[in-house]
Amino acid sequence: MAATYLKRAYSSFLTHVVDVPPRLLSLLFLVLLVCTPVILSPTALSIYFLGVLITANIMAIFAASWDLLVGRAGQISLGHAIFFGIGAYTSALLVRYVGFPLWITIPIGVAVGTAVAVPIGFPCLRVKGPYLALVTMALPLIATGILYYFRDWTGGEQGLVVPRFFPFIENLYQQRVAEYYLTLLVLLISSIILYKIASSKTGIVFVSILDDEVGAKACGINVTKYKLLAFAIGALFASLAGSLQAHLIYLAGPASFSLSLSFYAIIITIFGGIGTIYGAIAASYIIYFLDQYALTMVVKVPTEWHPLIFIVVVIIFVVKWPRGIARFVVEDGLKELSKEREIEERGKRIWKKYKKKKDEKMKASQ
Amino acid sequence: MNLGDKALIEALLLYGAIAGAVYALLALGFTLIYGVAEVVNMAHGALFMLGAYMFFAFSLAPKNPPLWIASPFALESGWALIVAIIAVGIVGSIIYVLVINPVIKDALASIVVTVALAIVFQQAVYIEFGGVHRAVFPFVEGSTTILGVTMTYTKLLAFGASLILFAIISLFIGKSKIGKAMRATAQDREAAMLMGINTTRICMFTMFISASLAALAGILISGSTTQVATPQMWLTPLSMSFAIVILGGLGSIKGTLIGAFIVGYAENAVALYLPGGSFLKGVVALAVMVSVLLIRPKGLFGKRIELEE
Repeated sequence: MAATYLKRAYSSFLTHVVDVPPRLLSLLFLVLLVCTPVILSPTALSIYFLGVLITANIMAIFAASWDLLVGRAGQISLGHAIFFGIGAYTSALLVRYVGFPLWITIPIGVAVGTAVAVPIGFPCLRVKGPYLALVTMALPLIATGILYYFRDWTGGEQGLVVPRFFPFIENLYQQRVAEYYLTLLVLLISSIILYKIASSKTGIVFVSILDDEVGAKACGINVTKYKLLAFAIGALFASLAGSLQAHLIYLAGPASFSLSLSFYAIIITIFGGIGTIYGAIAASYIIYFLDQYALTMVVKVPTEWHPLIFIVVVIIFVVKWPRGIARFVVEDGLKELSKEREIEERGKRIWKKYKKKKDEKMKASQ
Repeated sequence: MNLGDKALIEALLLYGAIAGAVYALLALGFTLIYGVAEVVNMAHGALFMLGAYMFFAFSLAPKNPPLWIASPFALESGWALIVAIIAVGIVGSIIYVLVINPVIKDALASIVVTVALAIVFQQAVYIEFGGVHRAVFPFVEGSTTILGVTMTYTKLLAFGASLILFAIISLFIGKSKIGKAMRATAQDREAAMLMGINTTRICMFTMFISASLAALAGILISGSTTQVATPQMWLTPLSMSFAIVILGGLGSIKGTLIGAFIVGYAENAVALYLPGGSFLKGVVALAVMVSVLLIRPKGLFGKRIELEE
């Protein structure tokens, strides 16, 4: 019984994952990510490298949530960091003033972020396009002003110090490894959820709003409801990323509301290919690897040049090549590959049929 | 601000007027490029910052201040002002042609590209001049007392220059031939093109004016009020111009002037009357903007209703 079930699972794994090049590629990438701490030796450099990967994991969640909101539902948001900051500060304030443990405050942070998205989103989504971009960009700035106003509670510019995830692990390297696996697990779960949402019926409705809002309305779709849903889903994952990030850097600071953070999600998503959830996740690793490791440790470009390089690349991408890197790899490269294979197989089939017919004819003539 | 209660209302009156005049200049450029090319230019604040830095780079070093670096082009204040404004204007036209024009049809792409440009300018200035505050000195020495409030001549100069320039630009748009071409492009790009107007060139010229106005506002504000220039100073003027332009109605020149004075007074009132209000100074403008967008999205004098297609 179990053997047949396993056999069936294995064959379905073969047909649904191994035979589909993009899925095989992401599986191999996941295996590589899981194996990374095993390959690394506990040195200071690998602690740094793991830190880079942890940040990439967090930013992948953040960028993918922005991608769902903007690339799929078409609601241009330049202030996605507000949910990141709300998640971080809710978690930090609860730990600090109420004394809840981490495992309760992070879900509360996520819940608050999502709950705040509804009253924020409801009026915001009345406006469109550039106006929506302006309003959403203003929101984190207003939040920062409020943060500084209540500096006795929020710590002002210094922010709030928060406890780390695994206080019982003494060794820094082991702690990094534990944090790495935790964030990787969270990323895996949330990316699967985001991808499933994007390819579900709801996701198709989001794309219809992006393509033609009036048309979607005419088809009987409650546009406001779906926009709000996209906003809430985006906020959920952004605040998850925010509250995780606060406990990983041991600090909830005003930087988590900054424009540059919102813009980092945009850079990552555009680099990966806007509208593809997987592109944002892949690009997060590529960009953080290049930014924090290749350009810092290997080529040794001064740090202040990094944003300049990436942003110039993004401008070139937007102007000349808006499809992004992941679409190029998956749709142009791998799909071409699978198409070729399909053609080859079809050719073989046709050849067999033809041969059979020929044989029959030969037999008939004899 | 150390003022007695008696002088408070006079101070509010004067500071609000000066802030309003300079903000009007700042927001005029923003509204022009939106009106003519329909680009929400997020790099407007960066051009403001670039203006202040260009002035800093071109002008003559005064006696011996520690935050001043020796400039290879030591010009008198007046010439430095003109050179800086024209330089920023040219930068504006170049970025329009190279980067903004190819994506002008796509709202998301043009917003992303212009924010990206703002960050590019910020980083370029950071690399060239460093992250420290650079002192920008007033062009005119001395001060006078009006209604019991001490006013530096620089502030009065900023006030006068802003209002005069605002008048000149609005006359130019209303009366001159190029201004007419600009208005035609703003009304209907395709129709203007069919009438033989080179719309790309008109948009480029508008961007030149817009960038120059941003640069001038940057020089005036950093010379009279803040007296420092930092690479991060682009965000505040940008949000200020949003607030003003949205309050007045995007693309409306009269609305810009009135919106600028409303925001200028509101901001100074909060800073003067609320305890710890200077932290909320930037928030006021943004709160005004958000509430206007939510209550009356076309602004006070806007003609288009943006809620519909």
